[in-house]
Amino acid sequence: MSGDRAPLPGRKPGDRRVRVERPHAELFRYSAPGVLTARQKAHEERGRVARAVARAKAIMLGRPLATEQEIDERLSKKKALAIFSSDAISSSAYATEEIVRVLVLGGVAALAFSVPVAIAIAALLGIVAISYRQVCYAYPTGGGSYSVSKRNFGRRASLVAASALLIDYVLTVAVSTSSAVEQITSAIPVLHPQAVLIGVAAIGLITLGNLRGIREAGNIFALPTYLFVGSALLMITLGVYKAIVLGEGASYAPELAQQSRNLLEGAGILLLVRAFAAGSVALTGTEAIATGVPAFQPPESRNAARTLVVMALLLGTLFIGITWVAGHFGITHSDDPGGQTVLAQVAAVVYGAGTIPFFLFQAFSALILFLAANTSFNAFPRLVAILAQDGFMPRQFSFRGDRLAFSLGILVLGLVAAGLVALFGGETHLLIPLYAVGVFIDFTIAQAGMIRHWLRERPAGYLPRLAINATGCVVTASVAVVVTTVKAPPSLIVIVLIPVLVGVMSFIHHEYERTARMLALRPEQVIEPPHRRERVIVPVPNISRAVVQAVNFGRSIASDVRAVHVTDDAAGVAGFRADWERQIPGVPLVVVESPYRSLVRPFLAYLDVVAPPTDEVLTVVVIPEYVARHWWERLLYNQLSNRVRTALIGRPHTVVVSVPYRREAETDAEA
Amino acid sequence: MPDTRTAPFRRAVIGLNGGPTDILAVRLACQLARPTKAALVGVHVVEVDWTRDLSEDVASDNEAASAVLDLAEAAAERDGCRLETSLLQARDVGAALVDEAASMEADLVIVGLPYRKKFGGDFAIGRTIPYVLQNAPCEVLVVREPIASQVARGREPGVAVGAGLGPSDRL
Repeated sequence: MSGDRAPLPGRKPGDRRVRVERPHAELFRYSAPGVLTARQKAHEERGRVARAVARAKAIMLGRPLATEQEIDERLSKKKALAIFSSDAISSSAYATEEIVRVLVLGGVAALAFSVPVAIAIAALLGIVAISYRQVCYAYPTGGGSYSVSKRNFGRRASLVAASALLIDYVLTVAVSTSSAVEQITSAIPVLHPQAVLIGVAAIGLITLGNLRGIREAGNIFALPTYLFVGSALLMITLGVYKAIVLGEGASYAPELAQQSRNLLEGAGILLLVRAFAAGSVALTGTEAIATGVPAFQPPESRNAARTLVVMALLLGTLFIGITWVAGHFGITHSDDPGGQTVLAQVAAVVYGAGTIPFFLFQAFSALILFLAANTSFNAFPRLVAILAQDGFMPRQFSFRGDRLAFSLGILVLGLVAAGLVALFGGETHLLIPLYAVGVFIDFTIAQAGMIRHWLRERPAGYLPRLAINATGCVVTASVAVVVTTVKAPPSLIVIVLIPVLVGVMSFIHHEYERTARMLALRPEQVIEPPHRRERVIVPVPNISRAVVQAVNFGRSIASDVRAVHVTDDAAGVAGFRADWERQIPGVPLVVVESPYRSLVRPFLAYLDVVAPPTDEVLTVVVIPEYVARHWWERLLYNQLSNRVRTALIGRPHTVVVSVPYRREAETDAEA
Repeated sequence: MPDTRTAPFRRAVIGLNGGPTDILAVRLACQLARPTKAALVGVHVVEVDWTRDLSEDVASDNEAASAVLDLAEAAAERDGCRLETSLLQARDVGAALVDEAASMEADLVIVGLPYRKKFGGDFAIGRTIPYVLQNAPCEVLVVREPIASQVARGREPGVAVGAGLGPSDRL
């Protein structure tokens, strides 16, 4: 009991009470018998510099949150559609451009095939979406390709899926951000020279926001998707109205129609396949809903499946619609630096260049693309954390930061994505060949996992479901091969990177397992008190209070204590020994003269001679240390101690103990 | 729904004894205090018998005594309100509670009334509650523990508490 212990008088004579201070209350709280929970104050830094750093961090990232402050909000279908679909729907902002970019190589006539190619891709989207509907029902706890393949195929396939996903998430950030910046520079061309800077700054801001622990469930994140979808649907409707009712837009001359028929022969087919591969980037993000089933309101699976269908219909409509309007008005991509994107050109034709609706549409497009980038900041760190928990990634990836976010994963994603944007000059079309490959590998693995699932579980009526997933698997595998082939050589980077990542993760897992085996106790093992002897050796550079404290500590843990003084001053040895024996009697002093002036190596050699590492004796090296009061004192003191400690790391049957000597202890001694 | 008709108060003292009524009392106090942002003080008294000096350190290292206050504080936080805590040593729990309420100028004291299932079941009113009722300088609310048979019929403890807080139960 501390503080004022004088009894407080009561209202009646004899009624007294004593108020008891609880010293632990400020720092800890009992949460159960024998269990203390640390309060925020117990987490606070103590050093002046560390406190200043923590304050700066709190200003930038917000004050630390307790684990129980995590919000587990279930999403309604409307909100989930907006939040989970931003990645997929935002692909419609650049998918048409990718098709046009390839087709234009075949001449203007080839552009007539942009709509059929878009329809083919939309059909592929339909197949993938129907396949993923099955995943929503089969895996209500979340059907990401990593978890599906882990449950159905085992480690190797799941690591391939995880690697492809990690690449996919990084590229989602890089591609979406680059495309968002292109939408901005299409509206404000003077910003084009700063495109890379804007992209990197945007990724920096998104990273910072995620380190602060922003919640994707917030309404603010649902808004950009609906603004983009609404304004894009309006743009398509107005475009169709202008084209069909008002008769505006380009019309193809008869000779172009003939040319387009000729195009189907020979090299033209290859061009169409390439256009299909390029446009298939529209499917990226389709799996997000199946991965996030647990975030839906009950019945989770049904709500997720319905939302997935709505998302696929919306994406298909937007994609075909934008492509049709672009094709009808003869819009092609522009290779000029600072040129407008296809989407911006469509908006300019429909809404009028430089008008408020045009600028608003460009702003909504950029917003949904930034939001799509943000979805990866939620998914990537979670996947890396799961991999870390499973032992495939360094454990620090699974630790949550002050704001409950997986900070390390967020930082790594931000850095890699920003690096990619800078490396590729913020050009979306240069990044896209890398993008679609990983996505289709993931689709294929997830669908193959589902085939295995149905064959193993065989529930009633499983055959039609099996057929759906088998179709999905075959189609996505074929597209994966096509995309990899026609987008080579850039696409091959991903093909090389996936096995490299699998190798790294397998190595990490192997290391963790080996160490765990080494450190494990057998369940039946009962640990008895140790029988071996301790021998204490104290390196003493001089006779000081710090040395005395270390020697006394050594005496408290063992009877066999000796001091070792390594010196290059042969003349001073006799005096040192005399002082030692007079002031610290009872502790044998060994003096090691070092004519070559080295101090650490002779000490280690002496240890090897008198205290060879054996099972019978545990050698405890007690190092006296002076605790620096200022940062600059660290440069002046303990240099030799640090070198001795470093040299002894890993020495078998040896324990190194640092005994700190503080200024307060010195004051007490003087008193 | 609990009947929460009570005059506004600025500070309430909640007597905590480590029993099942602690959480009920804290939750009710939070509910009553929320509209007026009244202050809540949880008080736990460790009785010191006459063989020991009152100033002797009995409670500071007493894990059970600290746990009573900490668990109540956590319950209050879960209900979105702040509970100050006070640990006392005294010869008599009732007198210490009343004196603490008086010194803090509390205008409400809340105490829990446990229900014992043994011997056919009855409320264990003891000597603390009658003392508080007779001597408290302010209004007193007694929160009863739900009767076992009511819980078995599916009535929630909170509802049972509320049922005992009508105007006639206001003490």
